[in-house]
Amino acid sequence: MFKFVSGFYCSIVNMERGHSSGVKTPPTRGVVQKSKNKTYQQSYRSCLRASSRFALTPALTARRLNTSRRAPRLHNITEKVRPEHLDILMKTEWKLAYVTPLYQFRHTQLQSYSRQLSEFIAAEKQQGLAVEVEGLQSSFRVSFSVVPGMTEADDDAETVLIQIHSKPMFARQDKPQKPVWSGWLTCINGNPDYLQSLPQDFICLPLFGSSGSEVLTRLVQSWFQQTFDCCFGCLEISETCLHWLAALWTNCHSESSIQRLKLIWTIPVKPVLQVTYTVNPQDAWDLWSDIRKEPGEENEGEDGRSVDIEEVTRFIQGLKNHFYKHFKLDLSAGPLQQVSTALGSAKYSDLQQQIYDHHPHTTDRGCPPQNAHLENKDFKPTGNATFQQHLNTGNLEFFICIITTHEHINTIFTYYGWTNGYNLN
Amino acid sequence: MGDATKRLLQRLIRRTRIQMLKTTLEKWDRLTLAQRQSMVFIQSKSAITEKLLSICEVLMLLVLLWFHCLLDVMDNPNQGMWYAFRLMDPEDDAHSVELMQFKEQFKSLLHELVRHVSVKIKKHADEAIWIRIAWGDGFSQPNHLKPTYVVHYLQTPFVFVTSITSKQKPLLSQALTVSTRHQDLKNANLSGRKLTAIRDLLMQQYPQVFPTNFPGHTAENNQMESNPRRVKEQAGLEADRLRMAHKAFGDGMLPELESAVYELETKFNGHANGTMTDREQPFRCVVKFTSTNLLESLRQCASSGIVSTVTPLFSSIPRSGKNYFVITNKSHGSSSKTSNITEPQILDSKD
Repeated sequence: MFKFVSGFYCSIVNMERGHSSGVKTPPTRGVVQKSKNKTYQQSYRSCLRASSRFALTPALTARRLNTSRRAPRLHNITEKVRPEHLDILMKTEWKLAYVTPLYQFRHTQLQSYSRQLSEFIAAEKQQGLAVEVEGLQSSFRVSFSVVPGMTEADDDAETVLIQIHSKPMFARQDKPQKPVWSGWLTCINGNPDYLQSLPQDFICLPLFGSSGSEVLTRLVQSWFQQTFDCCFGCLEISETCLHWLAALWTNCHSESSIQRLKLIWTIPVKPVLQVTYTVNPQDAWDLWSDIRKEPGEENEGEDGRSVDIEEVTRFIQGLKNHFYKHFKLDLSAGPLQQVSTALGSAKYSDLQQQIYDHHPHTTDRGCPPQNAHLENKDFKPTGNATFQQHLNTGNLEFFICIITTHEHINTIFTYYGWTNGYNLN
Repeated sequence: MGDATKRLLQRLIRRTRIQMLKTTLEKWDRLTLAQRQSMVFIQSKSAITEKLLSICEVLMLLVLLWFHCLLDVMDNPNQGMWYAFRLMDPEDDAHSVELMQFKEQFKSLLHELVRHVSVKIKKHADEAIWIRIAWGDGFSQPNHLKPTYVVHYLQTPFVFVTSITSKQKPLLSQALTVSTRHQDLKNANLSGRKLTAIRDLLMQQYPQVFPTNFPGHTAENNQMESNPRRVKEQAGLEADRLRMAHKAFGDGMLPELESAVYELETKFNGHANGTMTDREQPFRCVVKFTSTNLLESLRQCASSGIVSTVTPLFSSIPRSGKNYFVITNKSHGSSSKTSNITEPQILDSKD
């Protein structure tokens, strides 16, 4: 669950680790052997590549764990995105999902999609599947629109906003209608290699956010699945993610004040104890920069040093240790549930079963084979970020984009997720 | 009957539970028997309002309604936040303040301080005095929809207040201190939603802990029940933890406090190396613990080992009856609001 609390626009590009080894997709598409002994990063595809006339895109198992990310840059988004769109996107809690690339989705056909989705929802309602709280009388009006200005890289597809308004039987024309459900699909700072490698008719909008009833979300998702031959999957936020967010947001403090760093843990006793740990922003920043200064790090991407998972871990551990010295309570006893700053907030959701179900090496995804062309970048992370982290993060990889506007100290935070495909081998 | 009064009546009726309305009306002897009987079958509040308006004089009615709003709160004292205060520096005759004397003095003082104010005082069964204050000012009538409730136990220094603004507090403070013969009213740093809980905590009306040199009964009791052939490996450690938990929090029912807030302004102490530990300025953070029954959660943390020892920060909640603390590193000098701790220390049995 995310809240976009509008604020700064910094984008953190998923910069893979190991600047020296480079992250190039091999131009010749062949099988690349994977070495198990060193830290590296490569992508490999199966033998059948786009050249296959059956358009069987390569299956790629990707267990992709970022152990480093580039620190975010700031962009002022007020110039680029319209205020009414910003209003919609911010200050709402979004539930995230990943989407595999969409087949033959056209930004020019949004009107037609609006109509089709309304009809679909009406049809499903007739079958008795969607019974909404507003009453059986109301029908729904769907609108698709483009939100220009959110993209950063040239290859990114424009963000699409979907809103569902309910049309009550006796509509009052003078009242402006609030949507009963909103959602968006976006691609921000997509990996250009991956985007360019997609076959012709596919568009990549891998991040889906929704706010509103579960029933409508499922309906919208199933319509997308039917129409564009894609797959949706839950993008759950794990504890490591929350650690990353805490560190990256604190990192933004020098450019835009985070106003506070709030972390919420729950301790598993009966009755449940909740610990809310709110740190003064300047002190959090001092701690963070102190950790960053410690020796041993290699240097410089174009925009400053990358952030390493060890630094993130040390940051969180430092906060926990300070807490322990006072209360003798080890916060690792319970999960970190929520991180929030003025730039945004993220909540850990309870669906741990879902993450654990997706065993790293299983191959059944329910994705149709035509879409199995997700890029595989494999890591062997060093240090403590090992298989334990596999289980924690599930099968997720992120491009994190923090968008804020200078005026309102608000942030749109966009999580950009990917997941692994499945192994055809 | 004025419109404003009618509206006020309607609002008051709306806010009161209908059952309460009906039972009180049945008992109200100002209504004739016939009128009371006609009320029995009325089910809706609007109908009650109309009926009452047709029967009664305004003033009588309002008095009645105010009283049973008061009753309503007394029966459900767990709405809204209650704040505890302590009366300081009693004068010589503070112990002999009587109810009637207190009532008269308090009312007259408050009427002197505030031009338009409505004060109702009632004594509850357990010796608590409930005061309902509807504040007005020089220009407007008392606002009965946002009253302040004050609970005081005569001859104790404890006062509990809910729904009061910062402007009203000094007036209340003055009236209270003079009528109870004290010098000052100070914040006791204790707040919560449940009046019963904070009252029990502050006035220590729950099973207390008595330090003993020969503990061990609780551990033995538990052992009686389990299979004698089964040996728990960590029985000793478990018993120790249980003992520590009981020492700090007792082993009976605990008042249902919901939260505790600690403002930490101590030196940063989380890093082995780095410049943060050398920094002179404090690392400012605020830690808030919340739970449906906070003391029970803390006791569980202690007995299950999540907390390795019960630090003075936790044990001072029941000990001093506070749930708001400011922790600094100063080793000397303290104001009434701070509790100073240089290093977290393990409690010894003398504490």
